[in-house]
Formats: sequence, C-alpha cells, structure tokens
Amino acid sequence: MAAVGTGMRRRALPALLRDPALGLTVLALWALIGLFILYPLAALVARAFFPGGAFDPAPVLAVVMKPHHRLALVNSLVLGALVGVAGTVLGFLFAFTAARASLPAWLVRLIDAATLLPLISPPFTTSIAFVFSFGPRGLITHEVLGMRSVNVYGLWSTLAAETLTYFPIAYLALRPVLAAIGSNLEEMAFSLGSSRWRVFRTVTLPLCVPGLANAFLLLFAASLADFATPLILAGNAFPVLPTEAYLQITGMFDLSGGAALSLALLVPAALVFFAQRHWVARGHYVTVTGKAGPRSGGEALPAAARWVLVAACAAVGMSILYLYALLFYASVVMAFGANHALTLMHYKVIFTEGMKAIKDTLIIALVGMPLGGLFGVLVGYLVARGEFAGRHAMEIASMANYALPGTIVGIAYLIAFNDPPLALTGGALIIVACYVFRYSPAGIRTTVALLQQIDRGIEEASQSLGARSFTTFRRVTMPLVLPAFFAGLGVVFIRSMTAISATIFLVSINWTLITVRILENMTELSLGPAAAFSVFVIAVVLAVTAAIDRALEHLRASWGETSVSGLAAG
Amino acid sequence: MQAVGIRLDSVSARFLHRVKGEVYAARDVSLDVRPGELLTLLGPSGCGKTTTLRMIAGFQKPSEGRIHIGERDVTGLMANERDIGFVFQNYALFPHLTVFENVAYGLRVRRMDETGIAKAAGEVLVLVGLGGYERQMPHQLSGGEQQRVALARAIVIKPRVLLFDEPLSNLDAKLRVQMRGEILRLQKTLGITTVYVTHDQEEAMAISDRIAVMDKGRIVQLGTADKLYRRPATVFVAGFIGRANLIAVTVRDSGGGRARIEVGRAALALEDATPGLRDGARATAVFRPEAIALDRPGAPGTVPGTVRSRVYLGEKAEYIVEAAGRTLLVVRFEGEAERFAPGAAVGVRLPVRGVQLVEGEGG
Repeated sequence: MAAVGTGMRRRALPALLRDPALGLTVLALWALIGLFILYPLAALVARAFFPGGAFDPAPVLAVVMKPHHRLALVNSLVLGALVGVAGTVLGFLFAFTAARASLPAWLVRLIDAATLLPLISPPFTTSIAFVFSFGPRGLITHEVLGMRSVNVYGLWSTLAAETLTYFPIAYLALRPVLAAIGSNLEEMAFSLGSSRWRVFRTVTLPLCVPGLANAFLLLFAASLADFATPLILAGNAFPVLPTEAYLQITGMFDLSGGAALSLALLVPAALVFFAQRHWVARGHYVTVTGKAGPRSGGEALPAAARWVLVAACAAVGMSILYLYALLFYASVVMAFGANHALTLMHYKVIFTEGMKAIKDTLIIALVGMPLGGLFGVLVGYLVARGEFAGRHAMEIASMANYALPGTIVGIAYLIAFNDPPLALTGGALIIVACYVFRYSPAGIRTTVALLQQIDRGIEEASQSLGARSFTTFRRVTMPLVLPAFFAGLGVVFIRSMTAISATIFLVSINWTLITVRILENMTELSLGPAAAFSVFVIAVVLAVTAAIDRALEHLRASWGETSVSGLAAG
Repeated sequence: MQAVGIRLDSVSARFLHRVKGEVYAARDVSLDVRPGELLTLLGPSGCGKTTTLRMIAGFQKPSEGRIHIGERDVTGLMANERDIGFVFQNYALFPHLTVFENVAYGLRVRRMDETGIAKAAGEVLVLVGLGGYERQMPHQLSGGEQQRVALARAIVIKPRVLLFDEPLSNLDAKLRVQMRGEILRLQKTLGITTVYVTHDQEEAMAISDRIAVMDKGRIVQLGTADKLYRRPATVFVAGFIGRANLIAVTVRDSGGGRARIEVGRAALALEDATPGLRDGARATAVFRPEAIALDRPGAPGTVPGTVRSRVYLGEKAEYIVEAAGRTLLVVRFEGEAERFAPGAAVGVRLPVRGVQLVEGEGG
C-alpha cells in the first residue's frame, strides 16, 4: 500500500475546501513565501536584467566583465575550491578518527565539542582571532617570531580561517557515511587477507567518494557565500565577489551593480547546488550494505595509526581552542599587542556604547525565534503530511533563501523593500523577516525528518476519534514535533545573533546588530570591543544551545526513546 | 444504541503508479456488513483488505462507488465525521499523553464534561482490564497493554462501527490468542458492527461471524468459516483457508449429486459432488489432509502409496505420501492406531464425500 499517497494527492482541492483551517494556513504560508522569498528574488533579477523595463543584459555584463570583478570571480572560485579540499580532508580526518580509532567516549565528545564551537560562533570569530594571532601585532608573528610589518591579509589567511570555520560541516556530513559503511565490511575485507592500508584504500575510501564529494560541495558553497571572513582577512589584493558586491553598494551606492555582482555569485552557487543533489541522489551505494553493523572496530587500526590520527585531531582542536582563548584574552586586556594589563574596560564599552546594538540584536533574535520556529514547523508539517497541490513547490521555495548566498538575499531584500508600499528598509521587521525566512529551513527539515519517523496512524487515530485537522495538529502533531520546533527556534536564534552576510545590507541607524558593530570595530581597529562583543555573542549562543539541549533532554525523558531521535545540529 | 450495517457498493481504489500506470488497490468491492456482526476481510498482503478498511474509515476516498454506514451515505465524509472507532496495527497511541488522556481524547474532542470523561474513561479501562493504569505513559506498557489502551480509546466514544486493522500482528502467539478472545467478547457485549482485517486465517476463523476472502483487490468469496473451509469457491480460497491437497482432475458422469473424477489414471466416485460442472471439465479437487486415510497396503478401496516422511506433532502426525503419481499431505490423529515409517508401503484411501470441486486448475 505504498502508493496510497499518490492516490490521495488527486483529491487535493476538495480536502482543502472541506478543511478551511488547512486551506487558510496553506494560503497564508504561500503569501509569506511569495512576499519574503519569491518577490525579493524577482525584484533582484528585474533590477539587474530589466533596467528600463525591457530585457537588457548589457549593464550586468559590463559590471561583471570589469577586470577587477573578473578577478573577484576567479578568486572566489579558487578560494572555494581550496577551502573545499582542505576542509574535506580535515573533516574526513576527524570523522575517521571518531568512527574508527575506538576512542573513549569522552574523547569523542571532546571532538564533537571542538567542532561545534566554530559552527555556532559568529562566522568571523576565527578571522578576528587570526588577526590577533598573525596580524601586524599578532601574538605569534609579533611577540613570538618578532616579525615586523607582516601582512596577514590575503588568500592564505582567508583560506586557513575559512577551513577552520567550515570543516565541521564536512565532519558532520562524513560521520554518518563512515558509520554506514560499518566496520563489518572492512573486517570482512581484512579477514580475506587484505592489509589494513589496502582495506582503507580499496574498500573504505571508494565507499566514501560520494560522501567526500558531497562534503567538498557543501564547503565550496559555504566559502563562496562567506562574506565576513574575506571582509576581515582578504584585504585589497585579494577581492572576492561577496565583498565586492557589498563595496559596490555601500561604497559606490551602485545598487544595480551590486545586484549584478551578486547574481554572478548565483551561477556557481546554483551549479554546486545541483551537482550536490546529483551526488546525494546517485551516490547512495553506501547504504546498500544495509544496517550499520555494531561498531566494534577495535582491531581495525594499528596502534601507531591511531596515535597519528589522534595527534592530528588534537593539533587541529588545540588550534581552534587557541584561537578562541586568544579572542577571550584580547577582550580582557587594555590593548592587545601593546598593553597587556587586565581590564574589563571593553565589556564596559559594549554594555554602554554598544548597548543599543546588544538590545536591538536580542529583540530581533527573540522576536524572530518563535516566528521562525513556528514557520518551520508549519511548513515542515504541510510538506510531510499535507495533501494539497504544490506542496513540493512549497518545499523548494521555502528553502531558497537558505540555499542562496546571504549577499544575494540581502541585496534582494534591499531592492524589494526600499520603496512604498513595501518600504520596510530601516526597520526591524525586515531584519526579522530576513532571519526568519533564511534560517527556518533547518526547522523545516528537522520537522520533516521527525514526522517521517512518527507513524501516520497516530494522526489518523486522532482523526478517527473525531478531531478536525486543526485539533489534530494542535493536540497531537504539535506536541510530537516539539523537538523540531525547539531545534528550529535554536537555529533561528543562533543565526540571528551571529549572521551578517544578508543583514549587513539591512541595518540602519535605528536598528543595528552586534555583528555589524564587530565589523565596524575591526575596521576602526578597536580590537578590544570587537573581541568583547564576540565573547558576549558566543556566551549567549552557548547558553541558549545548552538550554535547548536541556529542553530536548526533558522531552526525551518523558516520552521514552520511541518518538524523538536524530535531531540535526542545524 | 441500535447497531447499524455497513454497505459498500462497487467500491474501487485506483491510483497512478509511476511505472505500471493505473493500478487498483481494491476493485469493485461490494459488501453488506450486517448490524452487530463481526466481518473479517482476509487475504495475503497486498490483496486490498487494508485499503478497503481505510475507505470505510474515511482515511482514503474511493475512486468509484458509494459507502453507507447505516442509512447515511458517508462516501464524501472525512474520518472525523463518520463516527467510527479504529484500532491500528501498531496501536498508534499518542506517545505524549497518559493512558487516561489517550482514552479521554475522543471524549474531549466531543466536548464532554470532566466528570463524564473521568467516569466513561475509568469504566472502559476496567472493561479492558487496565484499571489503575490511568497515569502510565504508553511507552511504559507492554505490547498487549498498549493494544488494550488502543481498544479502550476506540470504544469509549461509542462509535457506530468498529474497525480493526491487523490489531494482533505485533503480539506474540500466545498473547494473540488471548487478545482475540477478548476482542470477540467485547464486540459481542457491545454489539457494535465490526470490520476486522487480518492475514491470519486461523485468527479470522476464530472470531468472525463471516469472512470475506480477498485476492488482488477483489472479494473472491464471502461466507462463514465453515462454508469457506468445506466449500471453497476458488482454488485460491481452498489454498488460503486451511491446508489442502489441490489435485487437478477431469470430471466424468457428473449429475444428480454424483460425479466420477479421474485423478491421473485412478478414478474416484464422489457421492456429493458440487453441482454445475460439465462432463469432461478440467477441475481441481480439494482434499483436506485430515480427510485422507492411510491403511495397510492392498486394503480394499485404497490406492497404493509410499510414505516419504512423517512428522510427529503430539496429538497428530503429518505424513507426506506419494500415491497415484501425486504427493499428498495427510494428517492423522493416530492415538493407538498403526504408524507408518518413511519408505513403508501404504494404502491411501481418498474420501468420496465432502470433496469440493472447483473450476480451473491449481494443483
């Protein structure tokens, strides 16, 4: 009876008409998606390609073909490819060590923690710490090595910072792949007489190829879209597209040029998106091996190899911790690199002068959090369970702002909501909307994944007992997808505290964000407040993450293991 | 409340399959469930029994046909408007609600007052033997207890019809037998018209007033367990209800309730043949294993045979015997009777009464 769903889809309209609550919800969600996702993108394309009302690609080509911008495009692609390779190697190293080196549980948890830190921090935390470490007055370059007039800015530092920031994505993507291969398969090859190295080369690695490709593409896309790291570290000699688009708009007040540049970013981003779907869809021979066997694997690695792996992971983990420690240190000394007397001065600054940014950010995050969580759960529920025409289209449309580089989304919002009747720029609403529609897809996907594990019969039981669809949603589905709701809340909140690439175009005198203040501080070289702001954000994010984990733990304890499992990190 | 009947008129469930095109999960199903009766839809997986049940429940809309519950045409109504009680295969309890709240759910939806809810839910929990379990969470219960909660939840709303979708298939064998007895007892006490889906013929025979055997989306035979066993209408029913030796035969001298059948070169004169088979027709004779007798070789009225194997099962023994060029399954309740060892020559006595002839060949 697998095809029952297809049979149901055909009677879509009557179901919607018979069930006004469902119909109204679908209409309302489409209205929101149309207004805050589809319309801005249409406005962006119109602004770039239809300058006078008629199709005219000449201005776009003119901007993109400028030598400086062509260089930026090439740089973006080169940087993305390098970050993709380096990050995938690091991610594989961590995933392989965690899955195969038979580490004690606490060590695996430590690895998880070390990789979580960059994921939940503001995207430029690593970059700022890089400046503290390797800048003109950096701890290593200046204090330790005594170098004078070093230049930290450029390809290599950007590459290193982005790799350290984004390799956890590869780690998270590769761990389930390695777990699915199962050490059984490797042990089998081993028992057939292969050497360990041969097993790794001929069994493990080939089976990982789709996963590795997937990780590479995810990292490539992340690097391509990254705005904050190159803004701080790339410098003038190494322009990349997102920062060029930003400078085009803020520096030259050329909105159309910025739009054109951001669209140049769209082409490789879209290519990567489809390539990744292709890989993920086709490369699934890994799961053909069936159930993941018990992870015994004690014999799989020789002791020497284990130590090398653990040492390599430890080295990377220590560098991450070193950078964060440096950041903290910089926030509690008078002037990093010059006067190392301890002080709370910078914190005083951010809680007085910077208070407005903190208040604005918290208000925006706290308002966006429930909205984004609810939007994610509603869309996820309708995508997974709804019986209406166009639910597939709704799923794809709702993911668009998430899949696109933030620069594109930010510029699109700027263009779309600048004029009456939708003159929202300058207000808080547009920033909230940007976060809600850009970061609720995490909640959508978690909701869908959770609902796929929850038996449809539970909702049918409610229906058979006389409940209408709205009652069923409120009293049965909503409580059951509460974990996804919390996860969605968490992601929207964390990103509202930390993201910058889209919203930097949307801040104003009335409403500003901590992340924007950090960037301003960096350009003004007031490094202390920048560090203090960063530490504050990380502390808040860690506290919220811990609180949400506690809430999830609580839910899990009260329902038993059956209904809650497999929540992605975000 | 007066029990009501359920009527299905030429109900079909059609859907589009990506590869196979138009496919029928249920096709032209017509069925009259009598008020107060327990009718079972029985068949192998994929035969359309669950689809039919879900269409009665309103979880799935038929592509053709009408469904009536009592006098009411419910074809266009959703499940929540049909006043049904549904018991799911995997219980489908609300994992976030206590046993009491699970049972109270339907009453709350019906806006019953708190004291009424407490009373009704308490009573029904006692009825299913779960008094005192009110505050437990579903995951703290065993499978059998969970199914009792599901049952209580379905009957507490006093539905007009009760629908069961393989309710016992997740329980172990012993519990299954016990639970089906309780379901039957409750159904008879409450007198609610019930449709029960299962693939287990023994379960179906144990609890049903009537059984509808389904195959490939259609009802192939409807009747009491006894009728289905003794007078299967098709080879499929003969093979699905109980065990049978299905032997291809040619019918001779049919008429007047008598017929001679040819099994290969052997001939057998039946004393109560199925009417309606032409002379010379190819048919399948249904020999139930317990109707075939074993005797000493050469005994009068037997055909010679050889024992291939014997499996001792306590009160009975199962023999595989070769006779007249066929392999036959024979069940003997031997008691003090003579036993035959593998390899032994035996006389096989085929029954001349109670042999059902069905058209077409199966064996």
